[in-house]
Amino acid sequence: MKKKILALTLACLMLVGILAGCGEDGGSGGYEGATTVSNEYEEVEINGYKYKKATDMTTEEITLSVHSFDQKEVDELLAQRFMEIYPNIKVSVSYAAVGDDYTNALAAMVQNGTTPDVIMYSDADYALSNGLLLDISGYWNSDNETKNLADTVNDAQLGTFHLEGGQRYGVPFKFFPGIILIDRNVLKTLNLPIPNQNWTWSEMVDIIKNATGHTDVDGMKYYGLGVYNRLDSYYGIAAGQQYIGEFGFNGKTFDLSAWAVGEQEFSDLKLGGYVAPARETQENEDWTGDWELWFGQTGHVAVFSEAFWTFQSSWNAPAFLEANPGLDIVPYVIPAVSEADADAGHHSIATIDYGGVSSGTKYPREAYELLKFLSFGVDGWHTRNEIFADVNNTNASGVPLKNDVMPVPITKDEGIWDEYINNVYCAGMDDEHKQLWRDYFASCMQPISFGWTNIAGYWNFCDEYFNKIGIHDIVDQGRGMAADYKDEAQRNADYYHAKAMVDYFGPNSLYNVMSEDETAFYQQIVDEFEGK
Amino acid sequence: MEETKKMTRKDKKEIRNRLKHLRSGKLEKRDARKGYIFMIPWFIGAAVFMAYPLGASLWYSLNNIRNTPQGLVYTFQKFGNFTQILLSDPDFLVQLVDYITSTILSVPIIVVFALIIAMMLNMKIKGKGFFRLIFFLPVIIVSGPILGMLTEEGAGSVSAIDMNAITSAISGVLPSMLADPISDLFNNMITTLWYSGVQILIFLSGLQKIDKSMYEAAKIDGGSGWECFWKITLPNIKSLILLNVVYTVIFISSNSTNPIIGLIQTSMVSGTKEKGYGYAAAMAWLYTVVVLLIVGLFALLLMTRKGAYEKQVKRAKKAQKREARDRKKIERRNVRNAKRIERQRAQGKITSRTTSREDY
Repeated sequence: MKKKILALTLACLMLVGILAGCGEDGGSGGYEGATTVSNEYEEVEINGYKYKKATDMTTEEITLSVHSFDQKEVDELLAQRFMEIYPNIKVSVSYAAVGDDYTNALAAMVQNGTTPDVIMYSDADYALSNGLLLDISGYWNSDNETKNLADTVNDAQLGTFHLEGGQRYGVPFKFFPGIILIDRNVLKTLNLPIPNQNWTWSEMVDIIKNATGHTDVDGMKYYGLGVYNRLDSYYGIAAGQQYIGEFGFNGKTFDLSAWAVGEQEFSDLKLGGYVAPARETQENEDWTGDWELWFGQTGHVAVFSEAFWTFQSSWNAPAFLEANPGLDIVPYVIPAVSEADADAGHHSIATIDYGGVSSGTKYPREAYELLKFLSFGVDGWHTRNEIFADVNNTNASGVPLKNDVMPVPITKDEGIWDEYINNVYCAGMDDEHKQLWRDYFASCMQPISFGWTNIAGYWNFCDEYFNKIGIHDIVDQGRGMAADYKDEAQRNADYYHAKAMVDYFGPNSLYNVMSEDETAFYQQIVDEFEGK
Repeated sequence: MEETKKMTRKDKKEIRNRLKHLRSGKLEKRDARKGYIFMIPWFIGAAVFMAYPLGASLWYSLNNIRNTPQGLVYTFQKFGNFTQILLSDPDFLVQLVDYITSTILSVPIIVVFALIIAMMLNMKIKGKGFFRLIFFLPVIIVSGPILGMLTEEGAGSVSAIDMNAITSAISGVLPSMLADPISDLFNNMITTLWYSGVQILIFLSGLQKIDKSMYEAAKIDGGSGWECFWKITLPNIKSLILLNVVYTVIFISSNSTNPIIGLIQTSMVSGTKEKGYGYAAAMAWLYTVVVLLIVGLFALLLMTRKGAYEKQVKRAKKAQKREARDRKKIERRNVRNAKRIERQRAQGKITSRTTSREDY
């Protein structure tokens, strides 16, 4: 009898488990709480720093979830500090590496009814086509802190998708400014002039060309340029202040004229032999005698289009410095094409990953505050500086978080910047180098995002048209001229963007926020392209 | 028969009542019930993890689906997803053709390789267990990410083979549609052979079940190893060949390194409005149909073809039947003749003296 009862109980439990698993999670609910930020705070002192605790937040015990591809350890420490400031809010962090893993995990959470309250997104098209993001313009516009960010965040409407209604769906979560790095020792060895921070594009190209072709006493050749990011992406933004997105995007349509010039120039540099061989190629082995050696270690490359994080993760990492003492790598802003822009300060392309509040959250006000803390907020950045300054805070591989993929504050708050430069980024540097970095940071604060995070339809344009045709390869290999593709690519870019705007924000979309005029503008582009 | 017709309803009822008593007893019923209870977990598993997802994906394939935090938003498309895939998605069709040719080419290679290795492992050699472990190890190692890393490092191909020479030789003889998959096959020869771990085990179990006395008898009759293979080994493991072929097709088709699986996954989380879960489900269904056709093709080839040994046995049986039939025919004729002679003798038409052998 006992066995029967046990068997029955187990069967019931299993059934309940299955039914519970099939049930809808009640996570998504209506939008409750404040729709603006009151800017009223009380102070909470932690580790001698006075954090601003918002008073217009719920006092109920709630849980907020975050899904991110930021540094996992940093997010967890930030969440911990946020919970200290708001003891009634529990924050759970889930992490996945950026790319398919991240999107798949996010898709699964959304489908299971466990959409995180705060999400990062790299591919804006997936987030928009599925209506994942909440319009947070009410919070953003009323929040005093958003007025003190890098100018282009508001001027170039980064994170808004350029809707006339002023909706905002994302905020800059991680900011990596565009950078050109120069090995000063190479320039000195080759008797080439050291540029200043107001240099122009043509000066950079001259340095690249003049540094190439020389050989040292051992017969090892010097190269002008070591490439990670393509120069055409840089050029497209550096060509003029009117461009607020890749491929000459002006907020509505594209103009690929500048891109075509930059693409062709980059191809000419490659075909002209000015670009150092990449790792794991026969050319690299012939040049360095080592299949694996990275050109950044050789001391024979003058200019680098490396990612921002490469400096801290490689050139400034203690082990690297010890192994490669003959380098003097210094930062420069991506130069402007015109002298006037170079003197006045100018837009430069930057890697910016965005985050937003989920449209399914029950606590949008609280989720916005958490998003701010994790991304651009002053208090969050103070905590980040504290985390990065401590070399005992390491990632899973034991690398200090500072030397992992450390971003840059997008706030202009002077206190945060002093902490960042003195305690974190330039800690251990001499005054000269510290000043060089300070100058660089001052000149890189007009960032423009890469397209896929900030322009609707851009990812699909690249995925289904631009990369599929392989225009970069064709031009790089001299099989065609960039100008030959300019018009067709421009028509496609306009079409993909217009179609995405109609699909995501038009009358039959999940958001349905575009005005009639705005819809008609984009619909006309779609119809013309489709021959209707 | 007449009695049945005359039966009344009452009689029928009475018979039914009697039959009731003849039905299974309590013990038997309890056993049957237990059987069903043991089967319930399978039924639940099949319903939840197979039937429901299958039905759901079929429904998905007929819809455009948006995966929103407020739930899935369906827009019924009829067969719109299928027509779009077939008419305006060149990637899928190109990948599908590549998949079909590479599967049809690589399956026989994997199965033949598995059979050869299984036969070698079945021989009396030292360290048999160690070698079996070595050949089975890739089954554990060859998971998606590790395989990807190994392939990137060039471990998927035989470095001693001059691939350029092979590729140019093949391209010179065959059209590119065939030459490309064959070249790919050579390029990934090691990877392909790594897929044979489970098949080796299946063949090995089949080989170990073959009665050794059959080989002994064949050897006594002067049979060579080659003849033993064709007339004893192969006929005995024929059913396992089909099993291994089906397993290999399914394994290749559902492998995470398969580009079509990647394409379906990418479509699932694509930002394009036309794509998403519905589009990916339609792709998956089209792909499933193609996989089933390939399985069917191999089944058709292997099930209808009979072995030489079986043919001989059938021929011998036919001859035996014919002989038996002839023998019976002769016996019947003898009986008829004997009766006829008896009749004639009784009628006095013949005397015993005049009976000759011809009368019979």
